[in-house]
Amino acid sequence: MDPIKKPDSGNLHLPRTILIIDDDELNRMILSNIFSDTYSILEAENGEVGIELLVRELTDIAAILLDVMMPVTDGIRFLERIRELGWNGGIPVFLITAESDTSVLSRAYALGVMDTIAKPVIPYMVRKRVDSVVELFMARKSLRSRVEEQQQQINEQARRIIDLNQGMIEALSTAVEFRSAESGSHVRRIHDITKLLLLKTELGVGMSYETIEMIATSAIMHDIGKIAIPDAILNKPGRLTSEEFEIMKTHTVRGGEFLERIPQLRELPGFKYAHDIALQHHERYDGRGYPNGLKGDEIPIWSQVVSLADVYDALVNERVYKRAYSFDEAVKMINNGECGCFGPALLAAFKVAEPEMRALYSENPSEEK
Amino acid sequence: MDTALYESLKNAGTDVGAALERVMGNETLFLRLLKKFSADTNFEELKKALSEGETETAFAKSHSLKGMTGNLSMTALYELFSRQTEFLRGGDLSSGASLMSEIEPLYEKIRDIVSTI
Repeated sequence: MDPIKKPDSGNLHLPRTILIIDDDELNRMILSNIFSDTYSILEAENGEVGIELLVRELTDIAAILLDVMMPVTDGIRFLERIRELGWNGGIPVFLITAESDTSVLSRAYALGVMDTIAKPVIPYMVRKRVDSVVELFMARKSLRSRVEEQQQQINEQARRIIDLNQGMIEALSTAVEFRSAESGSHVRRIHDITKLLLLKTELGVGMSYETIEMIATSAIMHDIGKIAIPDAILNKPGRLTSEEFEIMKTHTVRGGEFLERIPQLRELPGFKYAHDIALQHHERYDGRGYPNGLKGDEIPIWSQVVSLADVYDALVNERVYKRAYSFDEAVKMINNGECGCFGPALLAAFKVAEPEMRALYSENPSEEK
Repeated sequence: MDTALYESLKNAGTDVGAALERVMGNETLFLRLLKKFSADTNFEELKKALSEGETETAFAKSHSLKGMTGNLSMTALYELFSRQTEFLRGGDLSSGASLMSEIEPLYEKIRDIVSTI
């Protein structure tokens, strides 16, 4: 194949039809004869029929050859009409005319015609001028589609990197949870519940979807500090002594420190959320939580949300130290302050979102429960 | 190639060479165009419009004939129709009509030649 003859169009659909709009049959026959060796031809005897054909065959039309003086819908009216229909010069229009009236010509140019060709036509000139423009438009189109293709690849790569990040965070968090005999689904559910509470209730008002996604991902790492807690304490079947409990409580501060120490995490846009959540997910709305005894809205809403998600998930699943409660029991215990202590706004949102939270557990019936 | 036909057309003021160029040497197409010309009714309609004082209709008909004769390189006729079209465009019916004394014999002559195809 001669490489300079045809640009490689790949799978791109390139139009190869010329639409001829002219009331004079002889003209249509002559123009058709000029192009029929390499183009398909569509003929219209006035602008009205031209519009119909244009709309019907839009993606196949490479160029329009347009007469000015026609009955029903003339050339200028045709141009006005297709502009109203959204034509923006994406298909080149050539005015084929004996018109010497400059006001008509300037109106036509103002409406976006590519070029005018005088009648009676000189075939090789018409052919050359139309071919050049059609090739230019095709090259432009194929270039644009290549840019779009590359943009898609870049987006795809970016998405894979984000997925990988998320995967690493989940793997790390699951590894930590695994030590306390938690499954990967706990981590996933904390993510899902957090996202649900922020996305579907008043709590997330004013947050972008990206922010909510960031908070949900950060929630995965809430217990990351447990990596610093000895197995003997972490997996002790019986009640912890007060010394042991003091050590257990340090997983919050240790979690915060851990996240600070990993530069790649520190630079993430969601670092603030991850850090707050790891440090504060055991704070209580009444100020009786740990490590800092923050009270009420001193605790950022994302930390409050993850705290509730963690309590809810712990209640409805079995733990070494407790049986699994039913959903209704868990809801009651959270609402009456038997387990944790949450603010009124969070409890109101919990009421709204709880049925959907419950549904998250039936999606993976084979796990836990 | 129908030399006799081309010769007669040339004698009636037609640039056969230019006409054949316009159809890119496609003689079959050229003959088809001539047949269309011979079957065309615009000329009768033009005469009617002129006699009835319908300037706008006359303009449209004259304009069509100008286009047709231009495409077929019937140079002498084309120039006459061009002049007539401009008169009629400007609303000058009588000047347009008076050109018919030159147009009609030439038009009939060519139509006779073409009718032999």
